[in-house]
Amino acid sequence: MGVSAPESTDAHWRALADVLRPHRRQYVALAVALGASSALLLVGPLLVGRTVDRAAEGASVAELTALAGALVGIGVAAQVASVIVTWWATRIAWSTTNELRIELAGHVLGLDHEFHRTHTPGELVQRIDGDVTALSDLLARVVPKVGGAVLTTMGMVVVLTVIDLRIGAAMLLYVAVAVWVTGRRRNRAVDESADEMSAYARLYGGIEERLTAAEDLRSNGGTAYALGGFVDESVDCVSTALDRERSYLSVWRALHLAIASGGILAVVGGAWLLENGAIALGTVFVLFQYTQLLRRPLEDVMDQLQLIQKASGGMRRVLDLRAERPTILDEGTTSPPSGALEVEFDDVDFDYGDGLPVLHDVSLRLGAGRSLGLVGRTGSGKTTMARLVLRLLETSSGEVRVGGVGIGDVPLAELRSRVAMVPQEVQLVAGSVRDNVTLFELTVPDETVAAVLRRVGLDRLVAGGLDRELGAAGAGLSAGESQLLALARVWLREPDLVVLDEATARVDPATEARLAHAVDDLLRGRTAVVIAHRLSTLERVDDIAVVDAGRVVEHGERTVLEADPTSRYGSLLRAGRQAQEKVLA
Amino acid sequence: MTVAPPSDAPEAGLPVWRLSWRLNRQELRLFWFTTAAWTLFFSAPVLIGLVLAEAFGALEDGRFGRAQLAAVILIVVEIARMGLLQVAALSFHRWWISVQSSLRINMLSDQLAARAVDRGRPVESPSGALAQFRDDTEDVARFIDAWIDVLGGLCFTVGAVIVLASVDPLATGVLVVPMVLIAVVTWVSGNAVARARRADRAATSAVTRSVGELVGAALSIKLNQAERPALHHLGEVMDVRRRTAVRDRVLDQIMWSTGSAMTDLGLGLVLLVAVTRVSDGELGLGELALFATYLTWLGFLPRMIGMTIVRRRYAAVSFERMSRLVADEDSDRTVTDRALSLHATPLRPTEQVPERTPLAHLAVRGLTVRLGGETVVDDVDLDLPRGTITVVDGMVGSGKTSLLRGILGLTWPGDTDGVVLWNGEPLEDRTAFLVPPNAAYLPQVPNLVSDSVAANVALGDHGHGDLRAAMELAQLTDELAAMSDGWGTRIGPRGLRLSGGQRQRVAAARAFVHRPELVVLDDLSSAVDTRTELALWDAMVGAGMTVLAVATRPVAHARADQVIQLSGGRVLSAVAPQRPRGR
Repeated sequence: MGVSAPESTDAHWRALADVLRPHRRQYVALAVALGASSALLLVGPLLVGRTVDRAAEGASVAELTALAGALVGIGVAAQVASVIVTWWATRIAWSTTNELRIELAGHVLGLDHEFHRTHTPGELVQRIDGDVTALSDLLARVVPKVGGAVLTTMGMVVVLTVIDLRIGAAMLLYVAVAVWVTGRRRNRAVDESADEMSAYARLYGGIEERLTAAEDLRSNGGTAYALGGFVDESVDCVSTALDRERSYLSVWRALHLAIASGGILAVVGGAWLLENGAIALGTVFVLFQYTQLLRRPLEDVMDQLQLIQKASGGMRRVLDLRAERPTILDEGTTSPPSGALEVEFDDVDFDYGDGLPVLHDVSLRLGAGRSLGLVGRTGSGKTTMARLVLRLLETSSGEVRVGGVGIGDVPLAELRSRVAMVPQEVQLVAGSVRDNVTLFELTVPDETVAAVLRRVGLDRLVAGGLDRELGAAGAGLSAGESQLLALARVWLREPDLVVLDEATARVDPATEARLAHAVDDLLRGRTAVVIAHRLSTLERVDDIAVVDAGRVVEHGERTVLEADPTSRYGSLLRAGRQAQEKVLA
Repeated sequence: MTVAPPSDAPEAGLPVWRLSWRLNRQELRLFWFTTAAWTLFFSAPVLIGLVLAEAFGALEDGRFGRAQLAAVILIVVEIARMGLLQVAALSFHRWWISVQSSLRINMLSDQLAARAVDRGRPVESPSGALAQFRDDTEDVARFIDAWIDVLGGLCFTVGAVIVLASVDPLATGVLVVPMVLIAVVTWVSGNAVARARRADRAATSAVTRSVGELVGAALSIKLNQAERPALHHLGEVMDVRRRTAVRDRVLDQIMWSTGSAMTDLGLGLVLLVAVTRVSDGELGLGELALFATYLTWLGFLPRMIGMTIVRRRYAAVSFERMSRLVADEDSDRTVTDRALSLHATPLRPTEQVPERTPLAHLAVRGLTVRLGGETVVDDVDLDLPRGTITVVDGMVGSGKTSLLRGILGLTWPGDTDGVVLWNGEPLEDRTAFLVPPNAAYLPQVPNLVSDSVAANVALGDHGHGDLRAAMELAQLTDELAAMSDGWGTRIGPRGLRLSGGQRQRVAAARAFVHRPELVVLDDLSSAVDTRTELALWDAMVGAGMTVLAVATRPVAHARADQVIQLSGGRVLSAVAPQRPRGR
């Protein structure tokens, strides 16, 4: 894979250290617990060696039995210690990584609307939760095992040095070589791991999308097409997994060789020392036992290698996600005057960076407290204009001003609290009716929630109980009801400018007529931009702007345009009326 | 076979062994190849132990040259093992992904199936269901994977026991004790382990669901500045999972540690038995080395048998969870063999397309739909002659959408009564029959997929002519010409790169492309302007389509042959066809 600069290869490890730093005390405590359990592991072989030597010296059966009993006792104690270590490690691993998950979720929520238009929710679930779970596994399983292996190995070197300086030195050299060899390869499969993880993110993203669209696909003969896409994505998973496995095996081979050569070295070196009469036979056996003992933690490390690589791949992807920056920056410091906000488009152009302009030379002024209806064909740029006012998008050239202040100069928090928008996409979340109105804000009293629901005519939902989970059986909402629920959110706020983007498009005209009173109340004393295909929705706005292919082609007072036989708005109105008359005829 | 302690858990009684075997049979060749390679890899320590014993025996006798020869043999054996592992690991991965993909495609197929008998109950939350596709499939694969380990461990153990028994039968007999203990411990704790796993999976589903729906609602959260409370809520959901995860992992570690502790117990027991013989000089250092080497490996089989028992419980939980997504919640359907063969030439899924049956007259009789115990469509009769346009109107919550979905068979069969007659013949399986080329459906809020415009319209292979005609009918031609890649333009997840009205019309083109006998449209106009809507209706009338549509705007009413007014799920009034537009 690509050759990255040496200083960047370890960026994911450094980032991991940053994640862990606030919890360093807990990790120190973990290290102490690990030390205790590793020490227990070291005592075992010493006891075996002693038993062998004492037996050779003709010790009593009672003494030997006591030694063997101690061996069993220590073995059990070591395992009890390792369970405690696991419990402690898992606990801190999950609280650490949950913080990371929340941070990433917050980061993703803060990214531009554009980002969300190019990433499926299923893929983002995998990046926020799945990739980070690889890290939880690293901290909960790998850290104790690897930490234990390191401590056990260090202990071994110490014990062996006490027995014989030369053996200790040889063991130290051997461990140093083994660590150096594997350490050099620690970043070996990181790219491949990250590739595999993105293949899986695409797989799960695709599954989520197809489950969401299940009814559309089923009823339009798209089942085979959808399953075909799944098969393609699965094939990608196989090939990226095999690539990753091949790189993993190259690291594994190095480690395996280290372990195997340890045992062999013990035999050869022991033979040599024994031949020279430097050590006793029992010591050779201890030496051999230690290399065998080293086998267990090293094999554990080997088992965990895959997790380590997965975690590095995960951390790499976490860094990639973190590197995604919102292009809309919050650098403003100027507050527009209080009260209803004037809105002005000054020679605004907009395109998505693909050279296909969505808006051209849009200039428009809407006085404070007035309401504007935006009409035009679908795809003509109305929603884009609304999003520019909320700074969900940034103009390519020209400026949008609210209350005379360029919106780039208004702090985002202030802009979004003073300007309310009901978007055309109805977005509900996992949670209760209440959660969906307040979006999890706990400070809103139940009476207020019930009141805003009644305002939009959703008395049925209030009667069913605000704590009823949405989506669960019994709370099935129709598309119209979902839209009303989303609309209700705006009554919890006190905005100075309201933007309604097809806020009642999925609602029938009779229901909409009943809502008119509530909407009038909402717009009174506020500036408003109302986008509607249905012209009856616009019956009470002050001004009308007709948008066509990204240009404002007509703008004026509604009553004037209605009366003008040559106006576009007037002709649209008449076309609608004629259709109606045909029905009545 | 394992017999689990009695349990009233939902997964109790699932034939986990049989299901897993049926799944594994689909990739049997890979399974046996992997198993053979692993077994050789695992069994090599028998040889390694013998060579080591020889080496220590030689050391004891002072034959140092022989000890060095043994070391050389050891090197050769270890290198051979490395080669074996390389082969085993690669075939293992092919197997590992293949069996999981097989489970996944079975769940996905039943979620997307048209025929009622093949249809699984729709998931409550697609992002919540990811835990089934991600974690539950893995748990089943892990269970079968444990068989490979057990088979490998068994071969080694048999070889090792034969060698050891020839040295010291008594010490060998003692080794049975830790193995039995491990089996007993895992058997007894099986229920607690399964309970912890079930709780953890449920908590994980809640997390994936919450994350998925929060990022799906990113725009609303941003607009309402609800980031802080939303993240706080997510933190609570994640905290529940942290607790279940800790419990689950610690239980797992206890199972594993029990195995390791038992191995140490075995070593202690062997020492006790053997040590007296060592002091008598009957047992040399070589023999002791043999026991010591084998013991580190002998712990493997009982530990893996223990893990198999534990993983069977995990797999049972997973099969139960995955069954919820397939037809009849029939666990057998999760292991259907679709001959996927991912590693060779992957299968191209096909589906049964019903034969086109020209429509003369569609009749609906006594249609009733219940939703969550509430009757939302109540005893509705309808008649649609060929070439006519029928418009359904009514207020929010009056049952318009449920009526259309009920006719198409998309509502859950248990909650739906009544018959639909096609040319006087009652349709037995409406979802299977009312798909293209007989019928096509445009939902009120259409869901598109991340692909090109053309792929979203065609959903498979279609001639250019068909596509062009459908786009023309859906009034998309001009806008497509303005897009950078025309039809090939990629529309982003859920089509979010398009405007709301464009999404609606791409979905309309998708319904038109097959020239279906019956077109069912739910509120086509909710995202399009009057002029576009007029053009759409004129195009449909011009094409002589038979249309059933929910529409609340006058434009549609003007072109309707009959208008059905719904209220509280009942037909309030039906304006009879005034001027049938026969063709």
